[in-house]
Amino acid sequence: MSTTAAPVTAPGQEEAAPATPSLARRTLRVFTGNKLALTGVVVLALLLAFSYLGPLLHSTEQIHTDLSRANLPPGSPGHLLGTTDLGYDMLGRLMVAGRTSLEIGLAAGLLATLFGTVYGAIAGYFGGWVDATMMRVTDAALAIPAMFLLVVVAAIVTPGKGVLIMIIAAVAWLSPARLVRGEALALRDREYVQAMRMMGGGGARAVFKHIVPNAIGTVIVNCTFQIADAILYVSYLAFLGLSIPPPSADWGSMLSAGITYTQNGYWWLIFPPGIAIVLVVAAFNFIGDGLRDAFEVRLRK
Amino acid sequence: MRSLRSAAAVLLTLTAVTGCTREGGRIDMGPTGGTPVEGGTVTMALPPAATPNWIFPIGAPGYGGSYNSGIYSLLFTPVYDAVQEKGKAGLASHGPGTLGLEPAYSDDNKTVTVPLREGVKWSDGKPVTARDLEFWFRLVKANKAEWAGYSVGTMPDNVKRFETLDDHTVRLHLTRAYNPDWFTANQLTLLRALPQHAWDAKTDGGPIGDWDRTAEGAKAVFARLMKHAKSLGSYGSDPLWKTVNGPWKLAGWRDSGQVTIVPNEKYTGPESERPHLDKVVFKPFTTADSEYNVLRSGGVDYGYIPPSVMAQKEKFEGRGYRVDPWEGWAATYIVYNFNSTHAGPMMDQLYIRQAMQHLVDQEAMSDVIWQGSATPTLGPVPAKPKSQYLSEAMEENRYPYDVARARRLLAAHGWRAEDGTARCVRPGTGEDQCGKGIEQGTALELTLLSQSGSTETTNMMQELKSSLSKAGIDLTVRQQPLNSVLGSSVPCRAKDPGCDWDMSFFGTAGSWYYPLNPSGEQLFSTGASANFGNYSDKRADRVIRAVQYSPDMKAVHEYGEYLAEQLPVMWMPNPAYQVSVIRNDLRGVSQNPTVSFAPQHWYYVKKHAERKGAEK
Repeated sequence: MSTTAAPVTAPGQEEAAPATPSLARRTLRVFTGNKLALTGVVVLALLLAFSYLGPLLHSTEQIHTDLSRANLPPGSPGHLLGTTDLGYDMLGRLMVAGRTSLEIGLAAGLLATLFGTVYGAIAGYFGGWVDATMMRVTDAALAIPAMFLLVVVAAIVTPGKGVLIMIIAAVAWLSPARLVRGEALALRDREYVQAMRMMGGGGARAVFKHIVPNAIGTVIVNCTFQIADAILYVSYLAFLGLSIPPPSADWGSMLSAGITYTQNGYWWLIFPPGIAIVLVVAAFNFIGDGLRDAFEVRLRK
Repeated sequence: MRSLRSAAAVLLTLTAVTGCTREGGRIDMGPTGGTPVEGGTVTMALPPAATPNWIFPIGAPGYGGSYNSGIYSLLFTPVYDAVQEKGKAGLASHGPGTLGLEPAYSDDNKTVTVPLREGVKWSDGKPVTARDLEFWFRLVKANKAEWAGYSVGTMPDNVKRFETLDDHTVRLHLTRAYNPDWFTANQLTLLRALPQHAWDAKTDGGPIGDWDRTAEGAKAVFARLMKHAKSLGSYGSDPLWKTVNGPWKLAGWRDSGQVTIVPNEKYTGPESERPHLDKVVFKPFTTADSEYNVLRSGGVDYGYIPPSVMAQKEKFEGRGYRVDPWEGWAATYIVYNFNSTHAGPMMDQLYIRQAMQHLVDQEAMSDVIWQGSATPTLGPVPAKPKSQYLSEAMEENRYPYDVARARRLLAAHGWRAEDGTARCVRPGTGEDQCGKGIEQGTALELTLLSQSGSTETTNMMQELKSSLSKAGIDLTVRQQPLNSVLGSSVPCRAKDPGCDWDMSFFGTAGSWYYPLNPSGEQLFSTGASANFGNYSDKRADRVIRAVQYSPDMKAVHEYGEYLAEQLPVMWMPNPAYQVSVIRNDLRGVSQNPTVSFAPQHWYYVKKHAERKGAEK
């Protein structure tokens, strides 16, 4: 009997030895063939370089204020992009603020994806009352406007980097949870999963070795959108005055501070952080679109 | 002869600058002018989120907004108030705008005689008499816990006996001798005349009588009036509020807080207080932004702009407005919590408070962050507008911005900066040691609760944090909504739960607005209700008491100078109450530093009337 039965492996494992390089190549080829996705990667790389390497080339004081140099316009000596209302060099502050926005956005997006993936996979795999209970919790949480929750929580606790990551992740995990749960519902009935269970495999093995790896395409694509959304959330909160305390800054809080001076025509306080937010969010969305296309089976074929 | 003239001129100037009235004093104000044209409507913007919700001239706790008393004082003329006399500079406790004439104190300052203006009638034709004043007194005496103006030991506790001398004169017998200036400015200004003949009923529709003359009756009458006062929706139609004696009467009071007043055609007070306008509308706004948008579209005639827009002053002037910061009779400060579980021992050290004050660059904050609409606070007595309460010594900044001096003060008392934060390296109580309760290695780290929602305040705190760090003081600023800050900044005992805050700021629109006399009994006396930081100093208590009891103006000066030096709080720039934007053809507007208003003095000038005619 056993000699006639074909070895049961998951699709990924099945193709692992001979086909993985070609699959990866095809995926990469589709991705690199997408000009928008490549543009996204380049823009993201430039923004990362700007934020992390920029201060090495353009070193500025971003801790102590200097009221004697407040609101200098672009082109002032030593201040290519002018200064803020507290005398910080605008270009230097944009770099430092970029770190905060990117770090919080990346961390919150990854955390939300990780938690949402595991949560959705468990709900989808086990089904029944476990699924019903877990998904009703998700539905209930989705019914509450995220912005309302964020504002309430951020007003109760003092927003720090860690706290912001946690509270943004706490509202952002719902979407990946629902997506992965849908994938898990389809995957749990596949032969390789059933075979694994017949051979005595437990739920944890099924979830972490079969369900999650086979939903990875969906997860990665969703993750890029989650990061983009998280960066926007950081900006929203900062715009509402709920950002990490000064002298730290993020692009959202810079934009919020700049808006105060709209009537004075201080455009250099508004456009640079606004453009940076648009660029980073667009970059992640382009990358996400590219990855989705690359993981899409029909396109690969 | 020339020298005599010069001396007279100097004397006149000094009189104008320092004021000369015994009871309330004067505060210099800028002049207003123009020729009146009768008629017109003025829409005045109320401060953001200010919703008028009280009409009864006995304020209830929780309904204490200055806009409430500002509005009901137009309907019910106050007995004494900080008034600006038309065409004259300065503030006085009485004038054409008050019912009371100059009060007379006995030689021992234990009784005060209050004469009321004769010939003034209620809108139903009945005269305003001493009985109306007695009615108010008996109501607040029997219901003082429900009166927002009450604090233990003051009015009505400090009045032993209320005596009616005749129809227009009452005499208050006081529990002890008081400083007449302080008593008039801060106690007699609480007095009100209420229409006893119309309001003295225990039930709605019940007979009018002398019910207020028994404690039980006064409680019943007060309860009935309070019930009506809490019915905001019926203000416009309730006959109770139609019996007025002020220059204005109510034409509408919406639930949203929009209040419309029109001239009281039966007004019998001085001619100078008779309105020129047809109507005044007080318009509420939820946010400063919404007000700003309406102002730009011409929807308000008398509004305000955020200080950040001060740079656009010329633009508004070009559009036919004048921009005029409304300076408040206020002090602005950061409260130190002397009982803070963590920082109490540090706050107790004068040298630490001095070092911190040296690190507050008030001039730069006022000029750059507040765009010139704030002025440095140098002590408990406001430096602007100038007044008789301000001595020469108080005009001097004892703690100018000086980082080096702050560092020296800390170093001289055993603090050394390690990794950017000052730490105590010489504990003990000696002159060159850190001080009582400060242990070896203690870091100079403080937490400040600050109100959120204001760019200027956020920037000011950021600047403060930056300045303090230059001397190794690590400040953590926690921004919270105003109500949260006020809720946390309450007097507490060390190590109690909720006493873990070190500093607190709630002064975006000024921390404390004084009545006429800027005495500090509510702010800096041991155990006072608004002494949120538990400041306690025997000499401070003594000099504050002297302001209340001693008739000598030197007592106010001693109080002001001592507390300016002792730093019971961290003095911060005092922002304008608002940066007003007023239609240039609207004249007669003088912005009262005690933030009340007198629209009966406002008028449009001819240009407006012509334009209105052209529009028609």
